[in-house]
Amino acid sequence: MSAPTFAKGVRFRRLPDGQGTLLIPEGVVSLNASAAAIVELINGERNPAAIARELSERYGANEADITRDVKMLLNDLAARTWLVLGEAGRQRTIATEQR
Amino acid sequence: MSEYRPLSLLAEITYRCNLQCPYCYNPLDLGAYRDELDVTTWCRVVDEAADLGVLQLHLSGGEPTLRADDCCKLVERARYREVYTNLITQGTFLSDDLLDRLLDAGLDHIQISLQAADAPLADVIAGAHVHDRKLDALERALRRDVAVTLNCVLHARNIDEVDRLIALAERLGVRRLELANTQLYGWAFRNRAALLPTREQAERAAAVIRDARERLGERMEITHVLADYYEAFPKPCMNGWGRQFMTVTPDGRVLPCPAATAITTLHFENIRDKSLADIWQRSDAFNAYRGTEWMPQPCRSCERREIDWGGCRCQAFLVTGNAGVTDPACSLSPDHRLIADAVSAKRTLELVPRRR
Repeated sequence: MSAPTFAKGVRFRRLPDGQGTLLIPEGVVSLNASAAAIVELINGERNPAAIARELSERYGANEADITRDVKMLLNDLAARTWLVLGEAGRQRTIATEQR
Repeated sequence: MSEYRPLSLLAEITYRCNLQCPYCYNPLDLGAYRDELDVTTWCRVVDEAADLGVLQLHLSGGEPTLRADDCCKLVERARYREVYTNLITQGTFLSDDLLDRLLDAGLDHIQISLQAADAPLADVIAGAHVHDRKLDALERALRRDVAVTLNCVLHARNIDEVDRLIALAERLGVRRLELANTQLYGWAFRNRAALLPTREQAERAAAVIRDARERLGERMEITHVLADYYEAFPKPCMNGWGRQFMTVTPDGRVLPCPAATAITTLHFENIRDKSLADIWQRSDAFNAYRGTEWMPQPCRSCERREIDWGGCRCQAFLVTGNAGVTDPACSLSPDHRLIADAVSAKRTLELVPRRR
């Protein structure tokens, strides 16, 4: 899995009270603390392993466990069309151009 | 008081429009809104909204891009305050240059409307030869780095072609499609007898949309706004009066719902006279139907009272003359026969075009 990016029209924002949110077309999604910590590290360059490494260094947790959580969350958010995962993103662009 | 925090603000920056769609929810007395707020005041509205915790700004009208420079300025201002921006447009003025400027300013999302799948009908509904130009704007927007939603307002004249609307969206590579039954306020309420689909039409369209959703999966997200005259329970209008949403009209009135000026028994404060926070927290209009305290029966003891919040206050007023009763669209409302009467009333073909 290569570096995830936000889909068009999707932004992460941390509110003044610390709540992590995804701003999406016509809506606001509240993220729990661990999801927010993961999503906040998405910058189009970090792949899931890099995100997991950064989090395990920060919290001193097992990197394998975190990698599994990161991948699960990213897949879930991609299925809701809020994230584009590298490979699928490229395929989708090609499919759109073929239409 | 502090338990209510607005999430979203609809800025209706002008009610002027070059189209004349008879389903428009704008008020009938459009002339009363000609004294429009200047861009400095609109920027203050954005700042005060951001301070109040608003996360999303929707620029609408009328046709907001008739004030193109001001749209760009407001998007830029909102972006600076980390507020998400959405432009709701019919697209006839959406040039490449304007798209460049809006995207440079940080626009997140554009909603573009079509009146029907093909030009002859679409142009009759819009009251102008604009369909091809709108389609072109949509195609150009879809190629840009911005989220795009295609919106089509459904009513008796075009609801039988939802399958063709979906096919068109598919052909264009649209990722988000909103098929919204006409909300019967303003000009649309004036044209109710011509716009209200029959029950058979509404059910047929719902089935087509259900099938399309299943077939398209995550390739296209289809939002279906139901015809509430045919539902058992009312829509949770604005997710509750004064709970999450507010609207500012072109002349600065602050409303809990975009259709609220129809309620002549309420007085709406103006942003020229008071701060947004003051109006949101303390105005009589915002507090009139907040929460559940105001509710009469059958809402008061209904287990759905915090699901649909009594339905729509504006619809209650338009249909019954009293904004403080259960939405008559609810099958439990003692006034529901007024909705049943409208449903069974003879339809007319005559459409009154919205005034420009």
